[in-house]
Amino acid sequence: MSMKRSPNQTETSLTNVAVITTSNAENPTFASLGASLVEIQKMKGVLGYIMRGTVSAVLDLAEGDKITQYAFLSYQLHESCLEIAKQLNISEIESALVEGKSLKVLFVKVGENKISVFMEKSSDHLGILKRLLI
Amino acid sequence: MTQASSSTSSSTPLQTVLDEFRNISPEITKAFVFKKDGESLAFNEDSMAKDRAKRLAEAFDELENNSEVIGGVENLTIQGVSSQIDITTTNSRYMATVSSRLADEKRVRALTFVIVPTIIKLMDQIEPSIPENQPPDASNSETKMEEEIIQQPEEPKQTEPLSNPTPMPSEQNLPKPPVNQFMVEKIAGLLVAPDMVRVDADVVAKWVDIYGDREISQVNVETLEGRSVICKFRTVREADSKAKGIIQIPERILQTLRASEGKLVIVKPVIPAAREGKR
Repeated sequence: MSMKRSPNQTETSLTNVAVITTSNAENPTFASLGASLVEIQKMKGVLGYIMRGTVSAVLDLAEGDKITQYAFLSYQLHESCLEIAKQLNISEIESALVEGKSLKVLFVKVGENKISVFMEKSSDHLGILKRLLI
Repeated sequence: MTQASSSTSSSTPLQTVLDEFRNISPEITKAFVFKKDGESLAFNEDSMAKDRAKRLAEAFDELENNSEVIGGVENLTIQGVSSQIDITTTNSRYMATVSSRLADEKRVRALTFVIVPTIIKLMDQIEPSIPENQPPDASNSETKMEEEIIQQPEEPKQTEPLSNPTPMPSEQNLPKPPVNQFMVEKIAGLLVAPDMVRVDADVVAKWVDIYGDREISQVNVETLEGRSVICKFRTVREADSKAKGIIQIPERILQTLRASEGKLVIVKPVIPAAREGKR
């Protein structure tokens, strides 16, 4: 379930899905990716996702009580990848995969939109990556 | 191929492995192993500047610090437009490879996330135990088994005057015990001593060549996980000696090591002290 209200207003929902927006400006890529993520969320082993655009964000996580931890990880993943890529002279990041002991996270950058998809280790992250990059 | 300028004795096997990366997967353009402070342990092509390696390690650690929700970070793969970075960490050392996106991903991942971490772990297990050439108490004739996951700190040795005026070689002058890696074969049966392993006769002959008149009656068997046991040994029977590279271990010792058939173990002879060897 998602909610949207007036422009320049930040809103969150206590349900699993939340949309945070500060503008009503149309962003077709963001909307299209959001639709893809809704489908990806239904895939086996996918626990949820966080997408951050320039002025909007959307998240859907099965474990609502861990939203903060997932959000920190999502942010740090992007920051760490930028730093590591810089030190190794890689100019632009397309995607990243971090594998933990229990779960893994796929990070994808599409334009200015940064997406983190959290999933079980057995999940098909390559299939998800393809869906997001189409 | 450039050699690690700050190479330490522990980096040599790593350097050899990294040098081979080019042969195994030519698409790997860079490979580094470095410490948290940025010191390079091994690299191919060019070394990474210390401050850059340090920042890279810090960025990885920052990610690690925020990754409790996924059970910590084991591996990280970053894909750029045409290049890919793979990073992992093992025992406070970091391994990073940069490869072309055209590279066989499975091969690159195996090299980065499996081969090098395994070698680092293996080196860590072998190296601290080599200088520890502590003889067991030879007066204790019973088999001594002990788990020594954490090495005990050495106590300063007491030098006792020898009654024999002939100078004996000190422990420091002895060659380091050779380290052999064997695959475990489980043995059982009525005639099998539960506290004795069986080692390849050729290997035992080499020990005799190295240590001469010192009677070697015990070996240290250590798993890759760090569990070890000191026990008696004998050579493999002639009839059983077809398989080289095998150590035959009875069930009781396998249980102590928490190992099973087919696992790799490291075997070193336990060298008795000079005067005890003469008894």
